[in-house]
Amino acid sequence: MRIRLYGRLGDAIAPEIELAAASCTVGEVRRRLATSHAAAARSLETSRALIAGRVVGDDRAVGEAEELEFLPPVSGG
Amino acid sequence: MSVVALLEPQALDPQLELAELTEAARGDGALVTFVGLARPESRDGNAVDAVVLDHHPTMTRQSLEDIAVACAERFDVSHVRVVHRYGTVPAGEPIVFAGASSIHRRAAFEAADYLMDRLKTEAVFWKREVGDDGAQWVEPTEADLADRDRWG
Repeated sequence: MRIRLYGRLGDAIAPEIELAAASCTVGEVRRRLATSHAAAARSLETSRALIAGRVVGDDRAVGEAEELEFLPPVSGG
Repeated sequence: MSVVALLEPQALDPQLELAELTEAARGDGALVTFVGLARPESRDGNAVDAVVLDHHPTMTRQSLEDIAVACAERFDVSHVRVVHRYGTVPAGEPIVFAGASSIHRRAAFEAADYLMDRLKTEAVFWKREVGDDGAQWVEPTEADLADRDRWG
């Protein structure tokens, strides 16, 4: 699945990554990224997750072909 | 009535935006605008060369439009115009234009104030200040949040 990360997360991890996972939940992706990128763990905790432009909960299953986005709290303009 | 909310990838020209809003506001009696500039100094007093605004491909423009529409619905204004830069904005250059026109001045003043209080805290940007000391992410301040909360 493709994951897009914004703000601090994009800086700490990468703006876009491919994650090899047949099927898992948003929460599992969040935890997996936090484990592999400890510096981004706190930002991941406070980030909203979106699929197809809609906010989704951590229990939402993510399909292999879906794109998951993590948006940290915004800075404002 | 018109509501315009634009994301600008290139240099923002406040004179051009004012001219557009003035043209739209021909039937009004008041026009209030605000231009925000990229600050050359951080809150900690460090020199800032540029402000870099990350944005979301759909949610950022939508957030500008939501704020502009809410402004038009809340105040007795005829026209609302919001234009916001994204990408790298060198210090001293315009980063945001917000303006409103109305029959009488009070509504336009309040509308411009409201626009900026919400834009400063809710517009979907992730902002960092870049200078000799590297890049620092910027969050809304307590004062920014208190300003926004005045509007309920």
